[in-house]
Amino acid sequence: MTRPPYRRKQYWNEPEMGWYERAYLFEILRGLAITGGVFLRNMGKWMTGRKGALTTYYPEETRADYAAGNRGKHVLTQRPDGSPQCVACNMCATVCPAKVIEIDAAFDPDDPAHPKYPSRFEIDYSRCVFCGLCVEACPEDAIRMVKEVPNLPSLDRHGMWLGKDELLTWHPLSDVAKPYPGAPARDKSRGPA
Amino acid sequence: MPEIFINGQAVQADDNQTVMQAALAHGFFIPYFCWHPHLSVHGNCRICTVEVEGDGGGWLDIACNMPVAKGMRILTDSDKVRARRKQTMQFITLNHPVDCGICDKAGECTLQDYHVAYNGSPSTSRDPKVQSTKFFPLSQRIILDNERCILCTRCVRFTREVSKSNALGVRNRGDHSLIRPTEDRSFDADEYSDNVIDLCPVGALLSRRFHYKARVWYLKPTPSVCPGCERGCSIDLWHRRPEWKLSALDARQNNRIDRVTPRENPAVNGPWMCNKGRDLAATFERARADQPLLKGRPVDSTAAIANARQLIGDARHPVALVSSWGSNEELASFKQALGGRFECFVKADVAAAPGETLADAILIRPDKNPNTAGARALFGAAPPRFAADTDLVLVWGEGTNFGDLPPRAKVIFLNAWLQPENGHADVFFPISVQTERAGHYTNFEGVESAFAPCFAKADTVADAEALFAALAVGPESGA
Repeated sequence: MTRPPYRRKQYWNEPEMGWYERAYLFEILRGLAITGGVFLRNMGKWMTGRKGALTTYYPEETRADYAAGNRGKHVLTQRPDGSPQCVACNMCATVCPAKVIEIDAAFDPDDPAHPKYPSRFEIDYSRCVFCGLCVEACPEDAIRMVKEVPNLPSLDRHGMWLGKDELLTWHPLSDVAKPYPGAPARDKSRGPA
Repeated sequence: MPEIFINGQAVQADDNQTVMQAALAHGFFIPYFCWHPHLSVHGNCRICTVEVEGDGGGWLDIACNMPVAKGMRILTDSDKVRARRKQTMQFITLNHPVDCGICDKAGECTLQDYHVAYNGSPSTSRDPKVQSTKFFPLSQRIILDNERCILCTRCVRFTREVSKSNALGVRNRGDHSLIRPTEDRSFDADEYSDNVIDLCPVGALLSRRFHYKARVWYLKPTPSVCPGCERGCSIDLWHRRPEWKLSALDARQNNRIDRVTPRENPAVNGPWMCNKGRDLAATFERARADQPLLKGRPVDSTAAIANARQLIGDARHPVALVSSWGSNEELASFKQALGGRFECFVKADVAAAPGETLADAILIRPDKNPNTAGARALFGAAPPRFAADTDLVLVWGEGTNFGDLPPRAKVIFLNAWLQPENGHADVFFPISVQTERAGHYTNFEGVESAFAPCFAKADTVADAEALFAALAVGPESGA
């Protein structure tokens, strides 16, 4: 059985090329000139300290225009006295499909209303799938996801764990759910944080 | 043998059974809080209410305290019963704080399970809940959360009927009732006090040792045998499930015995165990030896085995001190491989600690080694003694003072723990412990119980069973 010879399909918008286009080389050079022009313009701006392309230079630069509902990084909310709202019930760690949350619980006999608190709270961003189930599972509104993305780049996977110190740095000016403690006064002698 | 009908099905009950016992024996489940198969009937929680069909539409009564009668017709799940159960659950949870998120019992809590199964709706009460003592120290080992307590009094009945310490009672009345230690007794003196933690159907009685250590669904029980005394109680060792392995937190949590609970075994310990067994983790968390040694010099295991075979082959009168912590399998392997070559004595690895209870009428036995009976069955009960021409001693297990050995004899030492004697032996082998291998112990009554491994052993650590086979000296090597 012999196949009929292959015929290229004819489209309704076939380009109509004159001899100039068919010569190929002129058009290629024109294209290279456009690309090279943009490249040189951007490089010129970059060398003189201005910003050329729309690209975000991650991780030195982060986008300011994340959507309000973006599931970026996790934060731990705080009580008015600044202690974490988390009661170390492990609901988030249990529901997490990637099993990236690890919590060490401790006993605080001095606070009868909140006897259990997390002594360590670790999230592994190398495995997190940003599904937000931890936020839904939390009975205490203690873990939320803010739109900013975590500072992911790291030289090894162990550097991609975020601990309690980092998660507790969220200090919004106000909160719809509860009165929120302000950021602690920065110790001036230590210089900028 | 009265015949009764449960949910329309004919059932043969025993004469002195209650409806609860007859139903459970035939696979009908009736919920219960205060009733316990090994304690007296108190009948205060009312959750086991069932309907008895009879004249005038029948009536509701509690199954745990109702003797069976011929031709009785019981309904365990009628509309009436369901409505009553729901009301009972509403009443029991009236002052319960519902702090399951921070409760160690959550996940294995009877109140949680029954709430889901029989109630399912939030409290209908508009009154504030009664506030009560949190974290009351009942003893050095146990704390009591009075808000969670549903006053089933299982713990009180346990101290009166099983441990006989009479150390707990109920103080005050109604909403304000509190479980408290009795004035003239100390709950600390109760050797079986930790059983009330398992007995408690809610999270009121909490172990200090386990407090906030892990949520229970992260843990898995491995059946084991308590090596604390020759009773050999069947126990569960609870350790972290492999699928919940931690990587950022302390890795020791992955290979840690988080708690010990009794495993019901009517032939040995019933449903109870003593406090010493609850502290087994401390025994197994001691520093481990993991390096074969020749007079204190680290070598690899092949060199150590070659040296030991040489010593065994050359000895004229070798003596072996056999461990009473070895499993029956290891003892049999020793008997087969080396039993003919050595004069064997069974030694006591562990002696009772100062102040430890030696024996009582419930479970605790004077010999603090788990397999003395199994070892003596193979090697006799004679106490260790060394003839004048003893030139090689094989010591298996800890607890031997090397000063008591014949001074000129060479020593082959097998031990699991990091101890100073290890370096003094001519050949030293690190061996696995009970949590790293499977086996059987025979208790003083001759009952064999099996234990399973829960952790992996280190590569450099030998299994005694395989080691003995490797040490067996054949006739060709001059034995």
